[in-house]
Amino acid sequence: MRAPAPRHAPNDGVIDAATAALGDMLLHAQDLVSEISLTVDRDRLVIAMETLRDTPGLKYEMLAEIAGVDYPERPERFDVVYHLLSMTRNHRIRVRVTTDEDAPVPSVTGIWYNAGWLEREVYDMYGVLFTGNADLRRILTDYGFRGHPLRKDFPLTGYVEMRYSEEAKRVVYEPVKLAQDFRTFDFMSPWEGAEYVLPGDEKAAAPKPAVGTAPGAPTPVTADQVKRADDNVKAAEPQVDKPKTTESTAQSGAGKPHPGNQPESKPVDPDVPSPDAGKPSVEDK
Amino acid sequence: MGVELTTPPHGFGAGNAAGVPVQAPDQGFFNDLNGELTDKGFLVTTTEDLFQWARTGSLWWMTFGLACCAVEMIHVNMPRYDMERFGAAPRASPRQSDVMIVAGTLCNKMAPALRRVYDQMSEPKYVISMGSCANGGGYYHYSYSVVRGCDRVVPVDIYVPGCPPTAEALLYGVMQLQRKIRRSGSIER
Amino acid sequence: MADYDHQLDAANPTPGDVEIQNYTINFGPQHPAAHGVLRLVTELDGEIIERIDPHVGLLHRGTEKLIEYKTYQQALPYMDRLDYCSPLCMEHSYVLAVEKLLDIEVPLRAQYLRVFFAELTRICNHMLNLGSHVMDVGAMTPNLWMFEIREDCLGFFERMSGARMHHNYLRPGGVHQDVPLKLLTDIAEWLDTRLPRLFGDAISLVAENRIFKQRNVDIAIVSREDAVRWGFSGPMIRGAGIPWDIRKAQPYDAYDRVEFDVPVGTRGDCYDRFMVRVEEVWQSARIMKQCLAQMPEGPIASSDRKVVPPKRAEMKQSMEALIHHFKLYTEGFHVPAGEVYVATESPKGEFGIYMVSDGSNKPYRVKIRPTAFSHLQAMDFMAKGHMLADITAILGAMDIVFGECDR
Repeated sequence: MRAPAPRHAPNDGVIDAATAALGDMLLHAQDLVSEISLTVDRDRLVIAMETLRDTPGLKYEMLAEIAGVDYPERPERFDVVYHLLSMTRNHRIRVRVTTDEDAPVPSVTGIWYNAGWLEREVYDMYGVLFTGNADLRRILTDYGFRGHPLRKDFPLTGYVEMRYSEEAKRVVYEPVKLAQDFRTFDFMSPWEGAEYVLPGDEKAAAPKPAVGTAPGAPTPVTADQVKRADDNVKAAEPQVDKPKTTESTAQSGAGKPHPGNQPESKPVDPDVPSPDAGKPSVEDK
Repeated sequence: MGVELTTPPHGFGAGNAAGVPVQAPDQGFFNDLNGELTDKGFLVTTTEDLFQWARTGSLWWMTFGLACCAVEMIHVNMPRYDMERFGAAPRASPRQSDVMIVAGTLCNKMAPALRRVYDQMSEPKYVISMGSCANGGGYYHYSYSVVRGCDRVVPVDIYVPGCPPTAEALLYGVMQLQRKIRRSGSIER
Repeated sequence: MADYDHQLDAANPTPGDVEIQNYTINFGPQHPAAHGVLRLVTELDGEIIERIDPHVGLLHRGTEKLIEYKTYQQALPYMDRLDYCSPLCMEHSYVLAVEKLLDIEVPLRAQYLRVFFAELTRICNHMLNLGSHVMDVGAMTPNLWMFEIREDCLGFFERMSGARMHHNYLRPGGVHQDVPLKLLTDIAEWLDTRLPRLFGDAISLVAENRIFKQRNVDIAIVSREDAVRWGFSGPMIRGAGIPWDIRKAQPYDAYDRVEFDVPVGTRGDCYDRFMVRVEEVWQSARIMKQCLAQMPEGPIASSDRKVVPPKRAEMKQSMEALIHHFKLYTEGFHVPAGEVYVATESPKGEFGIYMVSDGSNKPYRVKIRPTAFSHLQAMDFMAKGHMLADITAILGAMDIVFGECDR
């Protein structure tokens, strides 16, 4: 890994240990971008979490975070992502369950006390239900808020806005009226990943991904593939001795007039008085 | 300079009309005033001028820190900037304060509380909106949970721009409020 | 009156005893000791706290939603506004997460600059927290002196980035601009002369003070097991006696190249948390001095032109640089699909960013792991059985900032 991100203990053997401990509760395990993600069975989440906390060799004793993610195109659209931390082994792991609007997720408040508010937040933001959380109220949004703001189908500006009403002598909610719309642009140019195909391009093959060459450019490869490619490839040697670059105007000739662009070589326009032709005749005025 | 002080030459209520350069106060005026005071022991002025002088000289502001700007609001009170030089002291209770500095993003959940605090303040009361979030939503203008400007909830006298405004900017805002009170103040406000 | 006596007798047969029912008071949202917009619905039995229900979200600004609509670079300034007492440490997690997804290298000088100013931010943050803590329990003077240190820090930040508070200084790939040498020497001199004198004097007024100890020692004791189960981090978990510091355990940037100690509390009360922070200030100064000694010359940002914009002078001469600049500030850079969780040691604890990218130029999801969330949640557990006046001490030792708690 080249980036200076926090470096915890290596991932070697963690997936094997988790597979052995969790058995068929573990649906999927992967090691991407040097972070381990486990997908577990939703109904047996609490048992799986207790196993991860108590099994020697795993010992994830702290719950750092619960995050919701919304993928509207999936049948079970929500991910609930738990980030666990093992301070004794100095390792982090990600546990994921999927759910939809109706299917509740078992609460882990019995294992970690701080899960209470984190689950309330996921409920508030996504509408995911948790069974066993005794206090599943909204937490961040306004009292009486409607909707779940972090769902992808919730508009950025919401549906209502607030003002003080002199008539009612209190603050009231009204439908949103924006003086200027939120400006958003489609930056997908046709040659880098737009949905549509330009006429004439139907037969062209998809471009091959240039792995690990230019971070920041649009690329179809994932972050994990980039990282693995970078781990394998040493720093690329320069291909030529003298790279063809333009450091200053001396090399490019920029700023100097082109030979054909000299003032004397231009055709004379009778309507434009040339600068060296003296002052325009005064009599015309 | 007689005993009756009806039209004070500088500052007091007269305001600074456009184009008139700001002049340093006439030292002779103060000497006369001082002599008057030590000689007779009292001064005569209009009640309006007196009230405005009192109002501008003791702008007790309410500590209503909402977000980032609150930090700069604290800084302006601390020894480096020392806003108490201008008679503006922090006051925790809305009932005893004259000016509310809305320092930070006003969110929907907070707006009823802000309005209630404003209603509790005693007249005459003034509001300084500090920072771009309070002025008009700023960086959070398009959010679903932010009031797009605190002037939708309370009437604002002075807007201080910046994200956050520096302590000097807030200090200047308070001085502008004093100027506004002097210019437009009356007994019933 | 007769009816009342009769009822009392029925409820409590002991004559002469007056039964007081529990009553509920509402603390905040506008309260000078609430450190922002906290509302505590407190159930009291006399002066004794029975139950506390903290209501947060009064500063919920929808940051996570807004970030999904901005490019990676445009979303960076939201980080400053999360924890506005330590803005640079918030940026730190974010840029590290983006860099981890992009997998780009950061030059050594940039890493040292980040660590250097992150530690200055830590000093700055602790000044505010320690000052307001002692003010909440009744001392005035230390706060005035510590704010003088903060004023110095803000002056340094202004010279570093142009802004006193919201710097937007760390960028994916490095930092925004190099700092002048005079600034570094000024900070070095400040670390040697002004900070020890002002801070040492201020702390000497309270650290051994009888009244200060009476209000803090043995208040809100948290055991090690409870600290882990409540998900504490930062000075809260170190105050409880667990030597856990992400800078030490999972070093990022140049933290593995500097030496520092991790202070740990022994009793786990408010006084220990206070003293852990005091010691952290000295350790931060120590790290900063090492950074100054070790910091190499060299570039301050990655040379990858797809991520880091070119220098202004370069743009005047190179067409390619101009194109890169234009693309970066309109479209931004694309981050390969993937997900990372990056947590750094902010002055308040573990501040994490869970970032999901779908390969486009905008984050698909950014979940911010606030430090205050788990601390404030434990308020009920920590304050139970204490007096009403202890709330301010407990809150002060917790170091909560609502920009980050409510997002």
